[in-house]
Order: sequence, then C-alpha cells, then structure tokens
Amino acid sequence: MRTEKNFLIRKLLPACLISASIFAAAGMDARAEVPYETYCYNYYSETVAQPHVYLYDSTLSFGGLEAGLKNPQDMFIKDGYIFIADTDNSRILKVTADGRPVMEIAYASSESDRLSKPQGVFVTDEGEIYVADSGNGRILKFNPAGKLLLAFGRPVTDLIDESVQYIPQKVVVDKDGRIYATAYGINMGLLEFDTEGVFQSFMGAAQVSVSPFEYIWKNYFSTKEQRARMATIVPTEYSNIFVDKDNFIYATIGNLSTADMMNGADAIRRLNPTGKDILRRLGHYPINGDQYRSEDGKWSSFTDVAATDYGCYFILDKANGKVFGYDYDGNSLFVFGRNGYREGNVQNAVAIGINDDASKLYILDYKLNSILVYKITEYGEHLLSALRLNDIGDSEGSINEWREVLRLNGNSEFAYTGLGKNFLAEGEYKKAMEYFKSGNNKKYYSKALYYRRKELMEKNFGKIMLVLAVLILIPLTLHYVKKIRKWAGKVKCAMEEN
Amino acid sequence: MRYGRELKYGLHVIFHPFDGFWDLKREHRGSLAAALTFVALTIFLTTLEKQCTGFLFNEVRLKDVNVMVDILTVAILYVLWCVANWCLTSLMDGEGKMKDIFIATGYALVPMILIRLPMILLSLGITSQEGTFYYALSTLSYVWTAFLIFFGTMVTHQYSFGKTVLTCICTIVGMGIIMFIGLLFFNVIQQMITFVTTIYKELRF
Repeated sequence: MRTEKNFLIRKLLPACLISASIFAAAGMDARAEVPYETYCYNYYSETVAQPHVYLYDSTLSFGGLEAGLKNPQDMFIKDGYIFIADTDNSRILKVTADGRPVMEIAYASSESDRLSKPQGVFVTDEGEIYVADSGNGRILKFNPAGKLLLAFGRPVTDLIDESVQYIPQKVVVDKDGRIYATAYGINMGLLEFDTEGVFQSFMGAAQVSVSPFEYIWKNYFSTKEQRARMATIVPTEYSNIFVDKDNFIYATIGNLSTADMMNGADAIRRLNPTGKDILRRLGHYPINGDQYRSEDGKWSSFTDVAATDYGCYFILDKANGKVFGYDYDGNSLFVFGRNGYREGNVQNAVAIGINDDASKLYILDYKLNSILVYKITEYGEHLLSALRLNDIGDSEGSINEWREVLRLNGNSEFAYTGLGKNFLAEGEYKKAMEYFKSGNNKKYYSKALYYRRKELMEKNFGKIMLVLAVLILIPLTLHYVKKIRKWAGKVKCAMEEN
Repeated sequence: MRYGRELKYGLHVIFHPFDGFWDLKREHRGSLAAALTFVALTIFLTTLEKQCTGFLFNEVRLKDVNVMVDILTVAILYVLWCVANWCLTSLMDGEGKMKDIFIATGYALVPMILIRLPMILLSLGITSQEGTFYYALSTLSYVWTAFLIFFGTMVTHQYSFGKTVLTCICTIVGMGIIMFIGLLFFNVIQQMITFVTTIYKELRF
C-alpha cells in the first residue's frame, strides 16, 4: 500500500536539498549543519521539507555532579526548573534550566528510607513534587523543600491480580488533586487515586481492537495449538501521561503493532475526567507518527508528550528519536530529530519537555545520560504564535503570523488553512475558499462554499429570479401562443365551413 | 445536414434503445463519423472532468494529469471492446459487421457525454454534504452506458438475453487476452531489437 522505497527518495533527497538551500538562502548560522531534517506531511501523504522549527542548542550532561545521571527515565519542567527522575541513582534531581543542580531528593521519610529506581516525577503548580518510586512500589508526595508529605503503595482492589508486582511508572496530578499513575503490566487504564492516595478506579481504559475476521478465525477455525501460538490480544498500555492546563490528560501508547499502524490506530489520547477520549482528529492522517516505516523498518513509538496551553502538543518517538508536533485539530505541524551519533542527535530518547512559552524543547536521553536542549527558530516562533493567537481569538494578530509563516514556507498547508479560517470568521468567504484550496482542506472549503453561495444568492436574488422567470415564462408564452393560434385556426375553419 | 441528423439521432437511441439500435443498423440512421464524434467527445470530457471538476469532488492531482493517457485509455478501451466483440460474435452467429459494432458502441457513449458535462458545473456549486447528488449522477452515467452497450450488442447481433450476457462476459475476457498478447508481442519485438542492435554494435567495434 505504501511505497517505502519511493518514500526514502522522496523524503530524504528533497529534504536535504531544500533544507540546505533554505540555509544558504537565509544566510543563517554557519555552524548550522543540522543533523536532522524537519518536514511535515501534506494532503497526499508525502513528506514535505520545511524550515527548521527547533534547532539543537546545547546539551546538559551533568558531568560536574558527584555522579552524573544514570539511566534517567523521566523529566518534568516547571517554572524554569527541570526535575529529573535519575532512576539508577535512585534520586530525584532539581536543576536550573542551564543545568545547575539545586536540590536532590534521595530519601523518603528518613535516611534509612531510600528511594528505589524512581521512574516518574511530577510537580504541581504549588510546587509539590510527586514521585513514582517504582522499586518500592509506591507513590510519594513531597513539599517544595523535599519533605515527605504522603506515601501510598499498592492500590487496594480485586481488579489487579495478587501475583502481579506493582511497579508505578509515571504519575501526574490534575488541578483538583486527583492523582493518576501508570504501572508496569497493568493494561486496564490509568490508576486513579484521590488526594489522600486512596485508589478510586481505572480510568481511560484502552480499547481492545479485534477485527471480525480475526475474531472468527481465532474462535472457530484455528486449532488449539494454533490458538496457543497466536499472540493473545491484549489492550494497549499507556506509555506516558501529561496533564494540560485544562485538566485533560494526554496519554501516549507506545506498543502498537504494524497492523495497528496500518489501520490508523490512535497512539495518543486526550482524556477528560471521566476517561473519555476527546482528542480532535481533523488532520488528514491518524496521529501515530510517521506514515511510513523508517529506513531500518521501525514504526514510530510514542514515549512521551508535552502540550502547550493552546492545545499544540509535541510527542516524542523513541523508535526513531523524532519529535512530532501537532496542532489543536490534530494536523501534523512538523517532524524533526533523529537517532544518531552526531551532536544534536539522540540515542535513546525517553522524555520530552517544553518551557512555558515553548521557546525551548528538552529531550531526556537515558543512554547519553543527558538532556538535549533545542531552541525555537524564527519560523517556529511565528508558527506557534499564530496558533496561540488563533486560540485566544486574536484573528488580526494570527493573520499576520500566518503570513510570516507562509513567507518562510510557501508549502505550508496549515498556514493556508489557518489564514482561511480567519477569513471565514471575518466573513470573507471568497478569500477563505481560495486559501482552503491552497491548504487542501476540503472540510473547511465546503463550509466556506456554503456561506459564499448563500451570500451570492442573497445579493443577486432579484437577478436570479428574473432569469428563472424569463427561462420559464418564454417557453410557456410560446406554448400558449401556439395553442391559441391553433384554436383560432380551428375556429376560423369552422366558421368558413359554416 | 445529414451529419447533424445523425448526431441528433443519439438522443433517440439513448431513450429508446431497442428501437434506436435497430434503426441504427437496418435503416442507417447513424454513421461511423457520428459514432467517432461521440468517442472524441467522451475523451474530451474525461480530460475536462479531471481539470475542471470543483475542488471538493476532484480527486485527481493536477500535476498527474496527462492528456495522452486519457486519450489512449478511452480510445484503447473502445477499440478493444469492438474488436473483441467482433471476433467473438463472428464465431457466435452474430449479425453485426465490424462497422455496426463500432457505431453501436459509439452511440452508447452518449449518456456519458450528456451527464458528465452538467456534472462538472454542478461540482462547482455544491458542498460536501450535497455530494450525494453528484455521486448519484456519476453512477447513473456509468450504469446507463453499460446498459446501452449491453442492449446495443443484443440488438445489433439479434441475440437472446442470455446469449448477450455470455457474449459480454466473453468479450471482457477477450479484451484481456488481446491485451496480454499485445504486451507479449511488444516485449518480444523489444528483445529482438535489442538483440539485433547488440550484434550490430559488437560487429562494429
């Protein structure tokens, strides 16, 4: 179905050429031989090169610490500080944005109560730190100074089998204090705890997808041995969670099969407090990363997500070391990054974070044991502020920003669509139609056409009615004239006969 | 004016297929020139449709449009159908001559032309929600044409209904076989030419 060989030629060659020429033309930093491409998908499922949105800036490697990071598994960014779950050193680190350590949490209640391989860390707006203390099978809550406030372990429920070891991995807390966690091997959804750490329920269970064919084959036509060898159909587990400012939880799914990817299964959800997925999927493609396998045959595998306040979200793909940016509607904005050994490449990316205005993007790498910092470019700034202004309803401002985006990248379908939406809101339907056409957006084009037609009808109602009347009346009159003549002729004949 | 009358006769054929196809052959009310005009118009509309259909209903990417491909697609299908049909019907006691088949098939394309042209205009003025009308018209044009080709064959060769069905199926298979042989032929010729040129080059240097 998808020609991967063509894809390579299509993607890599033009991407290299175009990005190189963009740099030459813009006369940007000479250092900038960027070790990755930035592209996005167009309407036709082709990758289109575009200017870089984030450029590699620096690496925070923490070599100066008494012991550097060791297999860190999670990172959280809050108010200019980075919190790192330094898993194999069994501690939580708080460092400044330029990598200076500020605080270390290695003990829970006392010196004898050490953390054990924590895999998740989260910080609330009040500065309270939640830690998934994986090795000890508990979740801990610390005050901003690092003093233990609360600890709770295995959820008390019959739904989890006694034999399953409880290993919490990621933890987030929403604005109302509800605590959500993922745990190793538990695929019934997120664990939801109340503010006191009492288990409430499972939330946002991932649905099992079994095709009818698969079901019938498995249940009626396969032998016992075949059935035993078949992979059991297991619901997908969430790989990571993130809570946004509207109290919705983004949850990523990392272990999709090839069949799932081909069928366009969703690899990310946005859950409301009742566990319903409310992510908008209006883009041309399912939100599951690359539409093609990478050169070495790997599908994207989402491992972490970070969202801005205006609904843009950035997803980290651990399989290929890429970052996928999506807007509120689920349109692919950009893809960048790659696995490799050059400066600016990642090796085993595990967590992603952005600062408050998304001007810096951080990727935690557990093999490099460091954090890579990417800085936004001029193009990226215009792109994100266009979306932000659009979100707050400043249509004039966002028109200007979209124009800037188009100036830097004439291939940008979402910029055309963005401009079109603004024109649509302002009632300039004809212009909106043109832009939606350039942006290949049929849904909105149809909407604009509807209003444009209405407008034309209202404006030219008189003329249209006149034309219709003429078209109907002339043949009618002719018809009757003929009839009358015939009748007159008949009458005449009759009279003459008489 | 005779040509004009023959063209106009197309309208009669599509609404009265039995009567129409009968007179087409026995009364010579149509002509090969008119039939080929209809084929040419179909080709023209195929191209026009790709380029002018409204954005909402146009699945074709403008950069992929190739007029030569459109011309050849329609022309080859037309000629293949007629030739395969003639090959078959001359074995199966068909009464139609090669020319009759060409004419009947050409006249059967008239609904294609009549429906597709307003469809292009319609596609410019309707939204996605109203797309049902567009797709219904599109289906209608295909079904009508298929129906006419079927009855054209039936009347031209004076077949029974069952025999016509059989003939049509066999004709489609025949088209496949002709294409296969054609490709094979070209392939072999190509190989032979390569062989000869290679020998020539070897001898020359």
